[in-house]
Amino acid sequence: MNALNNAYYDITRDGWDIVASPRHADVITVTGPMTVAMRAAAEQTVDAVPLPRVVVAIGDCAAGVGPWAGAPEAGAGAGVELGATIFVHGCPPTPEAIRSGLEEAGNLLSRRDPSA
Amino acid sequence: MSGPFHEIEVGEFERRVSAECESGVPLGAYASSDGVHYVFLGARGAFALERPHADGRAAPAFSATFPLFSWDEREMRDEWDVHFADLPDSRPLRGQNGHMPAALLATGGGLMHMVVGPVHAGIIEPGRFTFSSGGETVVHLDAQLSYSHRGVEQHLCGADAIEAAASVARICGGCSASRSLAFAQALEHLAAIEMEPGVELARLVVAELERIYNHLADLAASAAGAGWGPGFARGMALKERAMRACRFAGGHRLLFDAIVPGGVGPNTLRETSGLRVALRALASSIEHYFKSLFGNPSVVARWERAGVVSHKRARAFGAVGPASRASGGKIDVRVFAPYGAYRRIRVDASCASGGDAFARCCVKRDELRSSFGVIDEALAQLGDARPAAPKELRVRPGTAIGVVEGPRGAETVAVHIDEGGRLKRLHVISASYRNWPIVAAAMDGNIVPDFPLVNKSFNLCYACADR
Repeated sequence: MNALNNAYYDITRDGWDIVASPRHADVITVTGPMTVAMRAAAEQTVDAVPLPRVVVAIGDCAAGVGPWAGAPEAGAGAGVELGATIFVHGCPPTPEAIRSGLEEAGNLLSRRDPSA
Repeated sequence: MSGPFHEIEVGEFERRVSAECESGVPLGAYASSDGVHYVFLGARGAFALERPHADGRAAPAFSATFPLFSWDEREMRDEWDVHFADLPDSRPLRGQNGHMPAALLATGGGLMHMVVGPVHAGIIEPGRFTFSSGGETVVHLDAQLSYSHRGVEQHLCGADAIEAAASVARICGGCSASRSLAFAQALEHLAAIEMEPGVELARLVVAELERIYNHLADLAASAAGAGWGPGFARGMALKERAMRACRFAGGHRLLFDAIVPGGVGPNTLRETSGLRVALRALASSIEHYFKSLFGNPSVVARWERAGVVSHKRARAFGAVGPASRASGGKIDVRVFAPYGAYRRIRVDASCASGGDAFARCCVKRDELRSSFGVIDEALAQLGDARPAAPKELRVRPGTAIGVVEGPRGAETVAVHIDEGGRLKRLHVISASYRNWPIVAAAMDGNIVPDFPLVNKSFNLCYACADR
């Protein structure tokens, strides 16, 4: 995810901007298992993203299939619990795969009617 | 390495732990179903002073005298019911059913409080930072971690020790290779098996590549913390090149599974001549980067006197790695207790004494240079030879502790193995776990807007501290 901002991937060229607040976002990415400790804060953060929004799950853990599936405090994947519609697999996924996932999210948003 | 469990009197135990804390190198403490274990670093690796559980699991709190054990003893109480009568900080270490412990606040006339996190305005892991400040000056910073606590150690309890290696590699990304190496060392000790020189050289290359990409990220982030965008952009581009070298050398950008119990992964060092060329080019680019970064007076001025940690404080809090060596500490596990190929290829510990963000950046710069040097030497010794396939391990029951010098300092892994070669207990003491309390303490007297700079001059992980 961090690599997407470096000079090699530079997703700002494609119009993406990593923003400081969920209130400014159209797309929200989530990683890892949905830990018990993080659940409430993560739900509030996703809810703070204005509609229409797309939740993108990054990595196997976020899809609930990583090494911590079934761990006592791990819950299901963050993407599973937070209503992700796009799942990017890998442990971790390559920057190219994450970029493709974001492109898919962008396409999904542009097809949606904001007033719906 | 840990020996058999000794019966030991309480008074004698207290005396020995205290003596080691005062004159030795403490790494941490943990509890198991058998008792309590206080871990130290000796010239031949990690060793534990241990005592079986007393009636009602009552135990003296060493953190009352040695604050470095504060997190460890709170964790022992929360997870293993060890009853300490006199814990100085008696709050739970982690959240309980999703409720986090209240922050410790400084109160008084003119002081205000600001809570940041656990979700941050950047691509970082979750943590809650509560600042008590008078105007801009921080009086106290409370760092509440454990938002990424998954119950890793409980989850792996009962797992086959060899099969658990892939999970151990995925406890945390940034220090994965170091942890895999420490875990492998512990299992190989119990299997009474030595690695071939070629395998040890390959492991050294992998471990140093991990240091290289981490230190580049730390320096880039420290440039960002000083407000110098080009320094960040160039540093992160160099980190990308280092991560591509990792994929080339170990088959994975973050070196997952490049080191396995019994040897190295099948994709580790399949081809070395291309790697040597790539790394020499990268080292030369990094020297140019150093010139512009450390030659930029406004960046250096921002680093100087930011987040000062005195030698006394670093020792009291048990700081490890660059966090300790930038404050006058001397311990580098590679030098103090050489393991694997470090017994033949010498590393000089990089040290500084200023204790500020500048000193930490200098230590990382010097370590980067030395990492390229030892990798080149290891690859030269390896020549065209491919490292041997992993040996099959027959892990005998017992306990062992592996410790290696990761990018952030000593990465310690303790394993207790049962008759069936399964993990009875796994405990990870990460360098980040050791160093987090120091980050909070380093903010005393600094201004709130310097937190990103001070924080990034340590650049610790959360996942391996939370587990």
